Amino acid sequence: MTPPDCPVFPFRREDPLSPPPQYALARADGAVCPVSLWNGKRAWLVTRQAEIRELLSDDKRFSGAMADPNFPTVTAARVAVDKNERAFVGMDNPEHDRYRRLFTREFSVRRMQALKPKIAAIAESLIDEMERAGPPVDLVAMLAVKFPSLVMSELFGSPYEDHPFIIRCAVARHGLTQSTGEAETKARELADYVLRLIHSKEANPGDDMVSRIIVEQVHTGHLTREEFADIGAMILRAGHDTTTNMIGMGTLLLLEHDDLRTQLAAEPELVEAAVEELLRFVSPVQFSPRRVALEDVEVGGVQIPKGEGLFMLLASANRDEAVFDRPNQLDFARDASHHLTFGYGIHQCLGQMLARYELHILFNTLLRRLPGLRLAVPLEQIRFKHDMQIYGVHNLPVAW
Amino acid sequence: MSTARFKVSVDTHRCVGAGHCVRIVPEVFDQRESDGIVLLLEELPPAELTPYLEKAVRLCPARAIELQDAADDNAAI
Repeated sequence: MTPPDCPVFPFRREDPLSPPPQYALARADGAVCPVSLWNGKRAWLVTRQAEIRELLSDDKRFSGAMADPNFPTVTAARVAVDKNERAFVGMDNPEHDRYRRLFTREFSVRRMQALKPKIAAIAESLIDEMERAGPPVDLVAMLAVKFPSLVMSELFGSPYEDHPFIIRCAVARHGLTQSTGEAETKARELADYVLRLIHSKEANPGDDMVSRIIVEQVHTGHLTREEFADIGAMILRAGHDTTTNMIGMGTLLLLEHDDLRTQLAAEPELVEAAVEELLRFVSPVQFSPRRVALEDVEVGGVQIPKGEGLFMLLASANRDEAVFDRPNQLDFARDASHHLTFGYGIHQCLGQMLARYELHILFNTLLRRLPGLRLAVPLEQIRFKHDMQIYGVHNLPVAW
Repeated sequence: MSTARFKVSVDTHRCVGAGHCVRIVPEVFDQRESDGIVLLLEELPPAELTPYLEKAVRLCPARAIELQDAADDNAAI
């Protein structure tokens, strides 16, 4: 059991633009920090970049199998969805690689680069809509949510009008306040939805990922329709919630830093470095990756017993003083590309190049089209996602 | 063109197709069209690419890229 002085995890942020202050204290104190979870179980926070990279590369001693009853969670609802996670995100090797490789080429650099003109056209059309609506508008509703939805619709083949449903399913999984029943139901509904989409694309194929995977992987016997439905649900969830939150938080940070915004607007070619730095600074994924120790292990001089869970705190690793100078300063002049925002090891985000190109195009288009962009309300009126496992803003009223 | 500083090797079994190497040094790395796994285009890249090769090694999440001193190979040429 957990000693009585073990802090209860997760922590609450004090400053909405910084990770909880406990992370920096834990980093200074040691490589790992024991915490107590909602169910009274002990888990370990891994807070520094070096140990996180080591642990996520070590699949002999640490498992990422979400079905493991010892897999650590931040809510009761998450236990239920983890137990039923059948996509490769919740698998160890060799199964993980077998399934991931069926999808890797769909996200190759070449394929993602080829999507850029379409992504650019989507960004332009959404900013046209914002201009027609006229200021003030909520940038989350009009841009941050719609943009990845339209991109995923184009790439994956899910009709755009279905995206509010897909987002509700993602939120039910990524919330901190949902009931177990709600999270389970929405997980099942999304997999059922993708299964119906697979059947419909089999009858009427298009130029999209679902149609290609049916021909290349399902009809060749590499993947069942049910397996594809579970993986497709994972891809849809991942394609929405993370990018949406990077757009909301990234825009807010640009609006809060006049110098950086002016610099980026004047030098659009800075966007690649700017996006890496925004990814580092925001680190939207809060409570993943997670692992279970497969044997008694030592991490940073601390003994962790077999069967105990570990949280890799990416937001903490991205503020690690040993890796980044002045880590709490947003600085587009630094090379931040070795941040861990997309994770590390075999599970590193499959869609990360898509996310990068989406963000490059979006921020450049936004600053070019709406150079007078500003917050339409004081910062205090922005609602931050303290209630979500993927951090961001619920609203972002802007004018220009 | 300068001689190679490093000899590059890739482990296609470890590779998870994250794509960093292709983005950073497209002169040296590509992805197989069949499955998105790394394809080595240039085993002995010119020395001026060294910083980019080192960055690719640092960012590869699967630790699938190795750089070995090319001195022996150069001596053999």
